Amino acid sequence: MSNTTSDDSLITTEVQTESNDESAPPAGAGTAVAARDLNVYYGDEQAIDDVSMEIPEKRVTALIGPSGCGKSTFLRTINRMNDMIEICRVDGEVEFGGKNVYDDDVDPVALRRKIGMVFQKPNPFPKSIRDNVAYGLKIQGFDGDVDARVEESLKGAALWDEVKDQLDSSGLELSGGQQQRLCIARAIAPDPEVILMDEPTSALDPVAASKIEDLIDDLAEEYTVIIVTHNMQQAARISDRTAVFLTGGELVEYDDTAKIFEDPEEQRVEDYITGKFG
Amino acid sequence: MPRENYRERLDELRDGVVAMGETVCDRLDDAIEAAVTGDDELAQSVIGTDHEVNETYLALEDECTELLALQQPVAGDLRLVAASFKIITDLERVADLATNLAAYGGPDGGVHPAVDVRALGEAAREMVADAVAAYAARDPDACREIASRDDAFDDRCRQASEAVVRDLLEADRARTEACDADGDTDGGATDGEALEASLDDVSQALLAVRDLERIADHAVNVAARALYMIENDDELIY
Repeated sequence: MSNTTSDDSLITTEVQTESNDESAPPAGAGTAVAARDLNVYYGDEQAIDDVSMEIPEKRVTALIGPSGCGKSTFLRTINRMNDMIEICRVDGEVEFGGKNVYDDDVDPVALRRKIGMVFQKPNPFPKSIRDNVAYGLKIQGFDGDVDARVEESLKGAALWDEVKDQLDSSGLELSGGQQQRLCIARAIAPDPEVILMDEPTSALDPVAASKIEDLIDDLAEEYTVIIVTHNMQQAARISDRTAVFLTGGELVEYDDTAKIFEDPEEQRVEDYITGKFG
Repeated sequence: MPRENYRERLDELRDGVVAMGETVCDRLDDAIEAAVTGDDELAQSVIGTDHEVNETYLALEDECTELLALQQPVAGDLRLVAASFKIITDLERVADLATNLAAYGGPDGGVHPAVDVRALGEAAREMVADAVAAYAARDPDACREIASRDDAFDDRCRQASEAVVRDLLEADRARTEACDADGDTDGGATDGEALEASLDDVSQALLAVRDLERIADHAVNVAARALYMIENDDELIY
């Protein structure tokens, strides 16, 4: 997307220009997000146990593991969604754009514009389709052509053809699958670099889910996608890299998806993905 | 353990492939015996029961397809299903070659005496049986050892073929010398029939050797797929 806001930085007082730097690594060659010695606690309970991993840019990375393994916590740690949980404490670093997102001078709201999020259940606002997509743009003071950006975002979310004649209708009138794509359009409208998805298809029927899967594949041409899924076949189908978390927030194995699903190194991973436990 | 039914089906698939391998080895035993002795009844039994092996093959193929479609196996489970899918094709081909071998014996006696069908056949049969056992026992060393026998077996087959051709040439020379000594006054037609019979024997012997060599190749394929299943190692697959 070409028309960006005047404030792309994670820090409210600086303008970040890195995303427009032509000397940046070619698509897919760099690291979008890196966790270093990351530990997350809810009170006395450790949810993430000393995780270090580098997530490649413009690729789809899947986080899988049994319930309670910490994969959603890890996802929410990347854009500081856990800040809203009072008892949550984060040690270690999450590096994004050359900066630890937990540094004191990072503005979480600015961070979330660069690292958008799509949730399990579609959660459009009770507003028109147009306003749903434009909402984030207005918040960030976008001074470009809002309608053009709305169209661009809806096209990016593979929804434009279905809603272009009803942009003033309520987003809540759409089907579940359409609502989820509307939420994706809303997430990409502020021109993020990373999109976090927390089980984005688990509330959808198979046809709607397959449309989202196709969309994720397309999105990875422009964005880094990190997705939590309970559906291992989905992870195998759509991701380039897969991280397997097991109980206690331990990252047990992280590798190319084909390697994980054909010949994992760790017996515990093999046991989990073949259904011997979990 | 979760997915118990699924795991039982994987075990049943493996047991089914092993049972198919044992049946094929039994058929191969009978085929070798028929080829050596010319026992036509035994030969017809091998040929007439080949459809049973084909039916087993199709049933196991269906099971592999269904496991892939309905259970989406991954990792070691996926390799078990993928390897089994390929191994049953090799075993089915071994059974087909056993029917060829049984037929070469014919009603007038066994395969040409220059070919030691029993020795070659038992060596090939042992390779098949050992490959199936390596698959069942998940023994990677055995897989590699079976593959290492192939070159020596190919040499034995080549030597057997050369012996058959040499025998043919010597018989032809002897016939020519006998004709020259007789002045070939009235034996031309008889010699022609003898030559034709001899050529039939030779071609059947060469086909038998070729089929035995192919049986050994299928045994190596089984070992190669078993090694892939066990260690995700494709070094023997070519």
